[in-house]
Amino acid sequence: MSRVRSLQVSVVLAGVVLAGCGGPPQQGIARGKDLYDTCVPCHGSDGSGSQLLGAPSIGGLPAWYVEAQLKTFQAGHRGYEAFDTVGIRMKTMAWSLDLEGDNASVAAYVASLPRPVVPGGSVIGDAQAGQASFALCATCHGADGAGNEAMHAPPLAGQHDWYLLAQLQKFQAGWRGTRTGDVWGAAMRPNAMLLDPAAMQNVVAYIQTLK
Amino acid sequence: MDFTLPQASSYAGSIDGLILLITVLAGAWLLLAEGFFFWLIWRFRARDGVRTQYLDGTEPHIKKWISRPHTLILILDVVVIVAAIRVWVNVKQTLPVADATIRVIGQQWGWVFQQPGADRQLDTADDIYTTDDLYVENQKTYHFQLQSRDVLHSFSVPVFRIKQDVVPGRTITGWFTPIAAGTYDIQCVEICGIGHGVMGGRIHVQDANEHAAWIAGNTPTVTQ
Repeated sequence: MSRVRSLQVSVVLAGVVLAGCGGPPQQGIARGKDLYDTCVPCHGSDGSGSQLLGAPSIGGLPAWYVEAQLKTFQAGHRGYEAFDTVGIRMKTMAWSLDLEGDNASVAAYVASLPRPVVPGGSVIGDAQAGQASFALCATCHGADGAGNEAMHAPPLAGQHDWYLLAQLQKFQAGWRGTRTGDVWGAAMRPNAMLLDPAAMQNVVAYIQTLK
Repeated sequence: MDFTLPQASSYAGSIDGLILLITVLAGAWLLLAEGFFFWLIWRFRARDGVRTQYLDGTEPHIKKWISRPHTLILILDVVVIVAAIRVWVNVKQTLPVADATIRVIGQQWGWVFQQPGADRQLDTADDIYTTDDLYVENQKTYHFQLQSRDVLHSFSVPVFRIKQDVVPGRTITGWFTPIAAGTYDIQCVEICGIGHGVMGGRIHVQDANEHAAWIAGNTPTVTQ
């Protein structure tokens, strides 16, 4: 091989190597799957969550909701309260998604997971009494608790009962829905304020009957 | 670009001075020793007709090249130790009178700060709790009580030259006096789980008026 030819090959190879070093990663489900590795310790590889860690079931949740919540954490609209240990933990993890498109990629991967079947029985309540309270929830979340993107209302059916109860309590305590800019959290909070502790348990018990 | 880290606490300068002292002494010996060794290599390089000698190092005129620098290094070690102890006593063993006491709580993966409200007393109903951001007054001495909610963390404020481990089940007390207004980084420097790398925060050193306004604006209303 001539010296000129060797130089040409070297330049091409160097270009290939440098091209591999630079530039943002390709976004999409494959990227989302890689990013999801950091979610696994709390949410599990199937996205079923962990009561011990306060991590909800996220597998199969709609991408729009997962992405919106990641942005909410990143903006400090969730996880800002000093005693919200679970929220603080998630807020920091959301910060680790720092590249353009990361939120959408991981949300797309989470949405692609099958919705896990979660065990109930952590919250004891009167489901029949809870059905009456749920009438208000149904206006946004749907009568079947399947959620409504137009109202920014996530699916409730299929979620852990302990998580639903904890979120109602957080909204009521002002740990969610009180930060300026958190429009949809602020919309939810007045509804949670209407429920006393027993009513919260009842409505969660009713949600557990929804499939 | 500023290549130097600001010295924003009263003892940051003394810690930097100690590090500079060690760097200069060790650096000077490094250069001297390496220079001497290279001189020996050049001075006693191979020459025609000169046989290699075996030196067992016991002859006084040769041994002095080891024993005298050794003695000097030991003396300088004592200088470094004395200087280090002086800084250690000042930073870690002395607790100056505090203008306020705050609590710094580490958890996976964030910092929570509890500080007195308008009543200036910690652990009362009007305490101010913040996450990620700590607000302090310039030129005031603070005691901090470090606690952990879960695992080992380490509270680090580089511009203050603070790095103190946070141990679950213990309350570790320290102090600082900010000397330069501004906003600076807080970081965790003990690996504490998957989110350790993004477990940061900010400390806001405010002037007296600004801090008084912040306290007044953030003290919760206490209902009797």
